[in-house]
Amino acid sequence: MNGTVTILKKELKGFYFNPTFWIICFLLSLVFSWVFPIQLNLFAQLLTNYVMQQGVPQNQLNIHYGVFIRELSYLNLMLIFMVPALTMKLFSEEKKVRTFDLLLTSPVTSFEIVMGKYIAAMGAVMGLIFIGFLYPAATSVIAKINWLPLLIAFLGIFLVASVYTAMNLFCSSLTEQGIVAYVSSVVMNVSIWFIGIGSEVVDSEAGRKFFEHISFSSHLSAMGEGTIRTGAIIFFISLAGLFVFLTERVVESARWR
Amino acid sequence: MIEIKDLTKDYGTRRAISNLNFSVKKGDVVGFLGPNGAGKSTTMKIITGFMAPSSGTASVAGFDVFENPIEVKKRIGYLPEIPPVYADMYVHDYLTYVAALKQVPKADIPKMVARAIEKTNLGDVQKRLIHHLSKGFKQRVGIAQAIVSDPEVLILDEPTVGLDPKQVAEIRELIKSLKGQHTIVLSTHILPEVQATCEKIIIINKGTIVAQDSIQNLATMEKGQSRLHVRLRKDVSDMKAILSGISSVVGITEGASAKEWQIDIQGGEDVVDSISALMVNKGFGLIELSPKKMDLEDVFLKLTYGESQHGG
Repeated sequence: MNGTVTILKKELKGFYFNPTFWIICFLLSLVFSWVFPIQLNLFAQLLTNYVMQQGVPQNQLNIHYGVFIRELSYLNLMLIFMVPALTMKLFSEEKKVRTFDLLLTSPVTSFEIVMGKYIAAMGAVMGLIFIGFLYPAATSVIAKINWLPLLIAFLGIFLVASVYTAMNLFCSSLTEQGIVAYVSSVVMNVSIWFIGIGSEVVDSEAGRKFFEHISFSSHLSAMGEGTIRTGAIIFFISLAGLFVFLTERVVESARWR
Repeated sequence: MIEIKDLTKDYGTRRAISNLNFSVKKGDVVGFLGPNGAGKSTTMKIITGFMAPSSGTASVAGFDVFENPIEVKKRIGYLPEIPPVYADMYVHDYLTYVAALKQVPKADIPKMVARAIEKTNLGDVQKRLIHHLSKGFKQRVGIAQAIVSDPEVLILDEPTVGLDPKQVAEIRELIKSLKGQHTIVLSTHILPEVQATCEKIIIINKGTIVAQDSIQNLATMEKGQSRLHVRLRKDVSDMKAILSGISSVVGITEGASAKEWQIDIQGGEDVVDSISALMVNKGFGLIELSPKKMDLEDVFLKLTYGESQHGG
C-alpha cells in the first residue's frame, strides 16, 4: 500500500496546489452564494404567511425539506459537471505525456495506482462537498436545525459523488484525450439518473422492483430525508467499487495488450 | 542478470520482434543497436515489465518479468524514449516522488535525490518547474529519474537524444562512471555512442538479432578476412597483376590515387609478409602498410541493410 500513499500524496498536492481546483471551488461558492440566500428568503416568506396559503405540503414548512434538500439537488447538479473536470486528467494526461510509463515500470500494482488516484480525487471532491455543507451549517446561526438528518443527507451526496468519481476515473483511463474523458464522464453522470425511469415502462412486478432497486433517485432521496438505508449505502459503494475495479482492469491491460 | 529466451511480441498482425535470445551479465554495458522500428524499444519495454511478451520469457536478476513484475521493477531504472516527467512539478519534488514510488526507504530519499541531481548536473535547475526546462534538461531529468533509486539494472532508451554535444559527452561519461556497479542496456542508432560506452553490442533488425558480440570482434568480423592499407611512393597502375601470384588476396581497390591501395586478404599474417616483400622487392617505395579494421558503421550497414549494397 506504500505505492497508494505515494501516489495519493502527489495527486492530492496536484489538486490543492493547482489553480484549477480553486477556480472550481470559487464558481461553486459563487452559485451557492447566489442561490442559497434566495432559497432561504423564500422559505422565510412562506413561514410568515403560510396560514393564508392553501395546500402547502406539511414537509415544506421544515427547513430541511424547504431549503437544504433543494440545495443538495443543486450541489448534485454541480457535481455532475465538476467531478469530471477534476478527474479527467488523472489517467488521460499521464497517457498523453507518457508519464504513465513511469507508473507502470515502478514497483506498484495497478490496484495501488488506481486507489491512489481514486482516494485523491475523493479528497478533492470532499472539498467541494464541504463548501456545500458550509451554507446549511452557517444557517444554524439564525435558525434551529436538526444536525443528524443534515449529516446523513450529505453522506448520501458523498456516496453519489464517490460513484461519479469512480465512473469518471474509468472514463479517464480509457482515453488519451482529456476532453473526451470529460464529455463521456458528464454523459455517464447524467444518464445514470435515468436508469430508474425503466420502472415506469416495464409491466412485470419483478422488472419494476429491479429498476427501483437500481434507481439513483430513490436511493438518494431516502438518504436526503435523513434515513440511513443499508440498501442505499451498499448500492452506492458497490457501484463505486465496480468502476474502480474496471479502471484497475484497464490499467492492468496496458501490460498485456 | 538479464536473460531473454525466445522473446516474441506481436502488435496485432505485425510481428515487432521474433525469437530474441540474449543474456547480459552483471556489470555489463550493452548497446542495443538497430535502425528505426527494429524492435529496440519493444524489447526494452518487455524487460522493464511495462508490457508482456506474446511468447517467450524474459527475466531480470532471476525474476520473470511477467510472473514477478514487482520484484523486477524494484531493480530497474528505466528511461523511455520520451522522458516521463510531470510538467507541473519542480525537478526536486519530481525526483523525490519517483524515489518514493521506487520504494527507496524514506530516510534515504533526500540522499539519493541529491546524488541523482549531482550526477546529472541538475543542481542549477532543481528548484524550477519541469515545464520551463529545455528539451535537453528534461532528458537529463529523465536520466536522473532512472538512476535515483540506484537500481541494479539501467535500461536507457536513446539516452542522448536531444542533447547538445557537450551534454552528450557528459552523459557518456556518466554511463561510463556507472559501469561496473550497474548493468546497463542502452539503445541507440548513433554508432559512435556505442563505440564510446559499450563493451558488447547487440544489433537488431526487423525484430531479429543479426549480431551480438563484443565491439572488437564485430569490427574484425567476416571470418578471418581483413583489409590492408598500402601507401607507396611510386604510382602503380595495375596492382591486380602484381599481386596475382598471391592466392590469399581476395580483393583490391584503388584508394585516393594510384599510390594508395586497399587489399583484402584471407588468412593469417604470413600473407602480409609476402605482400610487403613483394612491394619492397619491386621497388615501389613502401611507405605504409597497416591493417585496417572494418569500422562499426560498415558492419552495421552490412548487417541491417543487407548484402545487396555490399559493405554499405
